[in-house]
Amino acid sequence: MLAPEKNATQRNWQPIIQEFITVLGEKGVVRRKEELLVYECDGLTSYRNRPALVVFPRSTEEVSQAIKICARHQLPFVARGSGTGLSGGALPEDDSVLIVTSRMNRILNIDLENQQVVVQPGVINNWVTQAVSGAGFYYAPDPSSQIICSIGGNVAENSGGVHCLKYGVTTNHVLGLKLVLPTGGIVDVGGSLPEMPGYDLTGLFVGSEGTLGIATEITLKILKTAESIKVLLADFTSVEAAGATVSDIIGAGIIPGGMEMMDNLSINAVEDVVQTGCYPRDAAAVLLVEVDGLAIEAEENARRVEALCYQNGARNVQMATDPEARLTLWKGRKAAFAAMGKMAPDYYVQDGVIPRTKLEYVLGEITKLGEQFGYYVANVFHAGDGNLHPLVLYDNAQPGALEQVEALGGEILKLCVKVGGSISGEHGIGADKRCYMPEMFSETDLETMQWVRQVFDPDRIANPTKIFPTPRTCGEAARSHAAEQFKEIERF
Amino acid sequence: MWEREIEMHQSLSISPINWQELEAIAGAESVKTLEQADPKWSQAIARAMGAGLQPPQAIVFPDSAEKLAEVMTCAYKQGWRVLPCGAGSKLTWGGLIQAADLLVSTARLNRLIDHAIGDLTITAEAGVRFADLQHQLAQANQFLALDPAFAEQATLGGIVATADTGSLRQRYGGVRDMLLGISFVRADGLIAKAGGRVVKNVAGYDLMKLFTGSYGTLGIVTQMTFRVYPQSEASESVLVQGEVAALEQVRSTVLRSGLTPIAMDWLSPPLASQLTDAATTVPALLLKFQAIAPSVTLQVQRVKELAQSLQLAAIGLTGDLETQLWQQLQTHLAAANQPDQTICKVGVLPASATLWFQQLERLAPKGFGQIHAASGLGRLVFTEPVEANLLLTLRRFCQEHNGFLTVLQATPAIKQQLDPWGDVGTALSVMQLVKRQFDPNGVLSPGRFVGGI
Repeated sequence: MLAPEKNATQRNWQPIIQEFITVLGEKGVVRRKEELLVYECDGLTSYRNRPALVVFPRSTEEVSQAIKICARHQLPFVARGSGTGLSGGALPEDDSVLIVTSRMNRILNIDLENQQVVVQPGVINNWVTQAVSGAGFYYAPDPSSQIICSIGGNVAENSGGVHCLKYGVTTNHVLGLKLVLPTGGIVDVGGSLPEMPGYDLTGLFVGSEGTLGIATEITLKILKTAESIKVLLADFTSVEAAGATVSDIIGAGIIPGGMEMMDNLSINAVEDVVQTGCYPRDAAAVLLVEVDGLAIEAEENARRVEALCYQNGARNVQMATDPEARLTLWKGRKAAFAAMGKMAPDYYVQDGVIPRTKLEYVLGEITKLGEQFGYYVANVFHAGDGNLHPLVLYDNAQPGALEQVEALGGEILKLCVKVGGSISGEHGIGADKRCYMPEMFSETDLETMQWVRQVFDPDRIANPTKIFPTPRTCGEAARSHAAEQFKEIERF
Repeated sequence: MWEREIEMHQSLSISPINWQELEAIAGAESVKTLEQADPKWSQAIARAMGAGLQPPQAIVFPDSAEKLAEVMTCAYKQGWRVLPCGAGSKLTWGGLIQAADLLVSTARLNRLIDHAIGDLTITAEAGVRFADLQHQLAQANQFLALDPAFAEQATLGGIVATADTGSLRQRYGGVRDMLLGISFVRADGLIAKAGGRVVKNVAGYDLMKLFTGSYGTLGIVTQMTFRVYPQSEASESVLVQGEVAALEQVRSTVLRSGLTPIAMDWLSPPLASQLTDAATTVPALLLKFQAIAPSVTLQVQRVKELAQSLQLAAIGLTGDLETQLWQQLQTHLAAANQPDQTICKVGVLPASATLWFQQLERLAPKGFGQIHAASGLGRLVFTEPVEANLLLTLRRFCQEHNGFLTVLQATPAIKQQLDPWGDVGTALSVMQLVKRQFDPNGVLSPGRFVGGI
């Protein structure tokens, strides 16, 4: 069911550009080479590709017009929000039009009575919470990039964050969407309620990584801010002890708002940069646990978590209640990715998921793989939901380093699948991990998913090379070896 | 009469079921006539299909996903129309089936595959009964956060196919929010899967959402993985009754407070009367709190104080009384073996719930109505015969408040007079294309879903 690859063609772009200008105005179309430079990549900077054209629609109607031009000329198009994605989802295709939603940045409606907000896709994640926090509400999904990432991008990638353990990821907070399909048609899916009659196309679209169209209006559910929040930071002399604490907290029936773990390398990286002073440099691991709820509940659960930390051999447990103190404890975790920049010229972040009970084994194997390939790997971990972010430190100036690092990243993903996990928890497959899809899914599974794409985008012009492996991007080898390697294990 | 798109289903010529072939695949004891299997199947089919149509010639109970796949391959080749089902408790829900040659039940796909206690997930086959799964989970102090209709009979597959849950949506969301992975047999008999067994996963399209609430029209789910939750140490419910305006203030205050009810339902006066054994003419609010003991005590106390300040009566319920009350509520909203009940799934904007109850009071004072206060979703049940026009009037009201009214269960006569699903808007054409892509011959549950799908 795979469509033939479209080769870059020698198009006459002038008349096409004129068509875009007619619809979007001069300011809505960028085509000078120097201006196109910044759009060559998203947050995954090791992949670059220059688009032929970048366009900036301001309304659903303009998005529809722009996509109709693409459809008419069979031009591949790629949607881009703020460009913070980490899997190359917004990486331009060859000879493509990049449709940037940054000018669609209005909050269209705030309905506190019904706890929902309607936004355009270019609205920044954090603005939603800012718009409703005065009334005591917030928007729950909080990716680390929340001060710059767009809601449209969050919808495309089904973004998570450090607080999704208790409250869910983007898909659990989207009620409805206005979509422009890859044919240019406009449809409304979902609505103002979490379930509507018919197929759940809202749920299908969220996380489809720009391959099924562009969401131009997004209805989000907002939640009431918890009465009390407490953050605990515990440090351990072994990763095993920290892991056992995570299991014990869950086993005790406590579902924290967030539960994060960092290993020694990460701890030292953030202490070098932000000097929190609260992440002990000699700790093998630190565990950050946030509990929320009524004051009485947060207090009691914090006390229980503290006790479980000490039971498992924590050396010290710090606790913070007021917002400023909580922020201090969180600061190191929030700065973890950025801090890697100080440790090495470049870092490569992975996004595997494992059953949380396999943590100890997987971290041990990752260390071994790092030694085998000759690279340091720092680990930052959404411990509550098993989402692991190994950060491989390297120097891109070294010839061949990126290829080796990618190979190491690939081994880590295979390891995640082997223990029953997934190759992506929240960053998406994009351009980065498409060749590993056959590790998780059979040819029939992938063909069935492609049926969905066939319905929405029969001409394969919406982000056409993303998510799924193709012979051109991955080579024939990527298609079949998974079945050989893990015969005994159900690849689910 | 409303118009349906049924050409697709009628264009197929009927193929007689080949018993020998089916028996060779599934085993002789697994292929039966409906009468041989259980009289309940014939009764359900009579209501699911309406008068004048040929009932399915056989029901098959494959005991493995592979056998089920072989049955489907065979059906695909022969052009048999297939009606997938589990225990059959909700077979009558949805639009009237236009044609069915074969019933395929997942009832014998009933193995528990893996309860990953430390990972808060459970993987089981589609025919596992909800009640059995809960029993299994309870041994580890965990539970599946769904409260579906017919909880004793319902299978996991049927719950997913109908997206059926209830009051627990307040805290935990719907079936869509619990389902982490699925395996399914496609219309052409191939086995495919999506998602996984971990609680966080964005690899590939989310076919779990697509299959949830798809009423057996896209494929047959054979195995699924759910997120589960730890049981709370304490539980208490509060029933608040009195003037509607004051109740609305309770709802609004609770939703804007730090209180964390796991359920908060509006109940229509007849429903409230049934639960309290005392006639009442005003709706009630029923709240449930589950957390650590001191938190539950405090939250119940705050609700009672709030109620008192608004001159509302508030009764606290714990232990067996609490369990019985919620069970009774479920029974009133979908009683097994009462095929004459008309059961609707409804939705309105949460803040419009009081208006909806006023409308109900005016038009159908005997209706059992329930609206989940946070989501605006709920149920409407009539134990006595209703007119199609009444349902259409109520549907219009729901739609004016951004909602819907779906007739899940009703007599075939009613379902012939109205579209059980109503208008689904501009997305219908995409839904029809999805259906054609997954089931090009239109052999899966023809006619059961929106827009005649």
